[in-house]
Amino acid sequence: MRRKIIAFCILGALLVLLAVLNLHIGSVDVPFGEVLRILRTHDNTSAAGQIIWTIRMPRLAAAAVLGGALALAGFLMQTFFSNPIAGPFVLGISSGAKLMVALAMIWGLARGVIMNSAWMILAAFLGALFSMGLILLISGRVRSMSVLIVCGVMIGYICSAVTDFVVTFADDANIVNLHNWSKGSFSGIGWEQVRVMVPFVFAVLILAFLLSKPMSAYQLGESYAKNLGVNLSGFRVMLILLSSMLAACVTAFAGPISFLGVATPHLTKRLFSTARPIVMIPACFLGGAVFCLFCDLLARFLFAPTELSISTVTAVFGAPVVIYMMLSRRKEQIS
Amino acid sequence: MTEKRIRLETRSLDVGYAKDKAVVRDIGFTVRAGEVLVLLGPNGSGKSTLLKTLARQLDRLSGTVYLKGEDLHQMAAHEVARQMSLLLTDRPRAELMTCREVVEAGRYPYTGHLGILSREDREVADRCIRRMGAQELADRPFYALSDGQRQRVLLARALCQEPEVLLLDEPASYLDIRYQLELAQAMRSLAKEDGLSVIVSLHDIEMTRRCADRVLCLKDGRVDRIGAADEVLTQEYLEKLFGLAAGSLSMPKEKFEHYTRAGGKRLRMGYTTGTCAALAASAAAEKLLNGVWPASVSLRTPKGLRVEVTPEELRDGSDFASCGVRKDAGDDADVTDGALICAEVRLTGEPGIRIGGGKGVGTVTKPGLDQPQGEAAINSVPRRMITEAVSGICRAADYEGGIAVTVFVPDGEELAKKTFNPDLGIEGGLSILGTSGIVEPMSVQALTATIALELRQHAAQGEKRVILTPGNYGETFIKEQGWDRLGVSVVKCSNFIGEALDEARLQGYEEVLVTGHIGKMVKLAGGIMNTHSREADCRRELFTAHAALCGAGRNVCEKLMACATTDACLAVLEEEGIREDVMRHLLDAVSAHLEKRAGGMRISAAVFSNERGLLGTTQGTDRLLAEWSGCAPEE
Repeated sequence: MRRKIIAFCILGALLVLLAVLNLHIGSVDVPFGEVLRILRTHDNTSAAGQIIWTIRMPRLAAAAVLGGALALAGFLMQTFFSNPIAGPFVLGISSGAKLMVALAMIWGLARGVIMNSAWMILAAFLGALFSMGLILLISGRVRSMSVLIVCGVMIGYICSAVTDFVVTFADDANIVNLHNWSKGSFSGIGWEQVRVMVPFVFAVLILAFLLSKPMSAYQLGESYAKNLGVNLSGFRVMLILLSSMLAACVTAFAGPISFLGVATPHLTKRLFSTARPIVMIPACFLGGAVFCLFCDLLARFLFAPTELSISTVTAVFGAPVVIYMMLSRRKEQIS
Repeated sequence: MTEKRIRLETRSLDVGYAKDKAVVRDIGFTVRAGEVLVLLGPNGSGKSTLLKTLARQLDRLSGTVYLKGEDLHQMAAHEVARQMSLLLTDRPRAELMTCREVVEAGRYPYTGHLGILSREDREVADRCIRRMGAQELADRPFYALSDGQRQRVLLARALCQEPEVLLLDEPASYLDIRYQLELAQAMRSLAKEDGLSVIVSLHDIEMTRRCADRVLCLKDGRVDRIGAADEVLTQEYLEKLFGLAAGSLSMPKEKFEHYTRAGGKRLRMGYTTGTCAALAASAAAEKLLNGVWPASVSLRTPKGLRVEVTPEELRDGSDFASCGVRKDAGDDADVTDGALICAEVRLTGEPGIRIGGGKGVGTVTKPGLDQPQGEAAINSVPRRMITEAVSGICRAADYEGGIAVTVFVPDGEELAKKTFNPDLGIEGGLSILGTSGIVEPMSVQALTATIALELRQHAAQGEKRVILTPGNYGETFIKEQGWDRLGVSVVKCSNFIGEALDEARLQGYEEVLVTGHIGKMVKLAGGIMNTHSREADCRRELFTAHAALCGAGRNVCEKLMACATTDACLAVLEEEGIREDVMRHLLDAVSAHLEKRAGGMRISAAVFSNERGLLGTTQGTDRLLAEWSGCAPEE
């Protein structure tokens, strides 16, 4: 219990620290004192105030919320597939969502319709469900978790290839945006998008939290869960829907973000030394937020003024964790 | 005995994976409370399919399963979860879970929306962990367990659901022989002591023999046979069931291999002379009533373990049969280990079973023992075991006449000289004894470690008071006196009274009551803190010395020195009318020695004998007991 409280405190402190750093650092460094003043006085008239309130704050909020959402999606998928290296990106869910969003955008552009956030989420959700459906078909046939991951990566590649194809030939000035987006970035997110994503993500978070009891039973295996009285089919549908919704939401706003969804739950489990959903659901969310803020900070500031795509940074930190897991799980792996 | 309640019942049940392809058809059986039903059959006969259907993992094809009279497949999932739990073959994933968390997962049907455990839930989990002896595993990560330990934890988890029916699918696979035995014992005790109905699928005949009350045999898509284990598990039938050529299944007699663990040591258990006598008697009775010698005989000891042996030295005539069974003392060094315990059985006219002692079985010559003076030294539990075994055979053979059983031990007279029988007043041979039928060996080191462990456990719960007593007599006496209701833990310390006191002091106990039989307690008056007779005797000497100090004359002292038992000493003192005085004198000495060893703990002692009850207490005992019962008299 104490360990968990301490771990929550550490994550909370990191979140605050990274938030402040994110506000401070950028193409124009705003001194800390100035940052505090602007936050206190709600000053959005001065140049620094404008930067903080209209650019950095929404971006910060989006990075935290979407990072959390992605980590939670990863945790739900890992629980569902009982596979520690499952996640929205490696299973191709993010790429599926990306493809659908790209198609929808192009379709919209061709007809002169500007997609709003809700439509983007819906399109991404359909794409995510499509990929998820493919993965479920495959997982019904193969028991080995490595094969499942390989299939997911393949689906991801196919979706990305189609997306690239579509983007390449849909030559329109606006496609440049789409191109940037399809690599994954938080740049350009404004308050109106944050106002959509926050209630959406938190609603899903609460629903997931309410599932923590059957989820903990499910961690022992399907047969035991069934014997304990879990309504398996209903529970499974909920897990799929919730994790797809989260992945879709992230993709709709920030494009595909690699490895964060796989690595964060794993790191959080180690930090908290438990896999109990009732702890892990809030913890993963917090951990994902911290991880994402950290990566976004690096993405913005490492080669400033050039901005890296967020996936570039998350891959550098996330992929080694996944490799480490694959190696260390070999021993415990049964399939 | 009234028939126990039916817990689970199936009627014309068909099970399988597809409607038109039933794996097993028309299954009908009942399982009662406290019963172990084994599903046995060759691979692919449908054991697991049936079990999965009972567990609702599979839908039934047709027919009905009743769980306590209700249609199982119509019941709500959480209702079933509170009445039936599972143990499956596959290793559950339990990432980063300690064993305690795995066990606590069994509380699922009882917890609220978020699955947060209440204090009662935790207590139930704790109790289940203790029940399965998995305390030392509780905080270890589940994935790090060995197969056998894992099954123990999973059983605890299953228990944590507080079920009435327990389903186990091939739980003995991957287990080595030691864990198989442990598992079999666990299943039996859950059925017998906790009254659970256990349904278990097994493919191993030996394992089935160890735990089954009844066996349901599946073959060729149907129930081939269902019946009591002893009736079903014959060589002939099993060969047929598994499709083996006649004679190919050799049924070796089960070697008696059970182990006890004490203080981290593993010691093999054995069986008592009483068990041997009952086995020999039942073999001889079988020969006499059925005409053939059985290849092996078996019985279930009062402790619950089954002993199966091959009788030796077979002899028979027109009106008698006799044979012997070798005693196996396990890892308990004992002069009787390997001795042949024989029984001769004759038919008699008058109904009933009479038991007597022959050559090599001692005769009781002094009072105070299990049997009255003049009787053969065959204690009451072995007598009961012999009677039960023989009368069972009589019933099976429809024999209504009487039987006379004479127990004899060919080397008994020689062997007895190396025992304490001569001192106890048992002459001419060995005693036939044993209360559980099983010899549970205990090494000295292991014993003291066990005592220390028990003291530590109670101390860990904050207890400051303890009652120490050497053994079973003491426990009975404590119950008679009602001291077990004082809320003070009773710790059996065997002969290691000194060690127990040292440990109690180390663990921070403040008040100790030592109570024991006079035969042990009198030694404390001489400062003998290990009361095993191997260490020192001195009982007569102490009686004599204290009697002399109380004014007994020389002839009384001589009489005392000639006594065989402490009860005999007490009789002499009573004759002289100085028992009270001498007891007080002795108890003062006991008190002085105990206080010296107790090093600051408040210590009292109470002494009794089986014949005379409470003989006396040290000063301050009454006050201590009054305080413990919460009604301390005013100063």
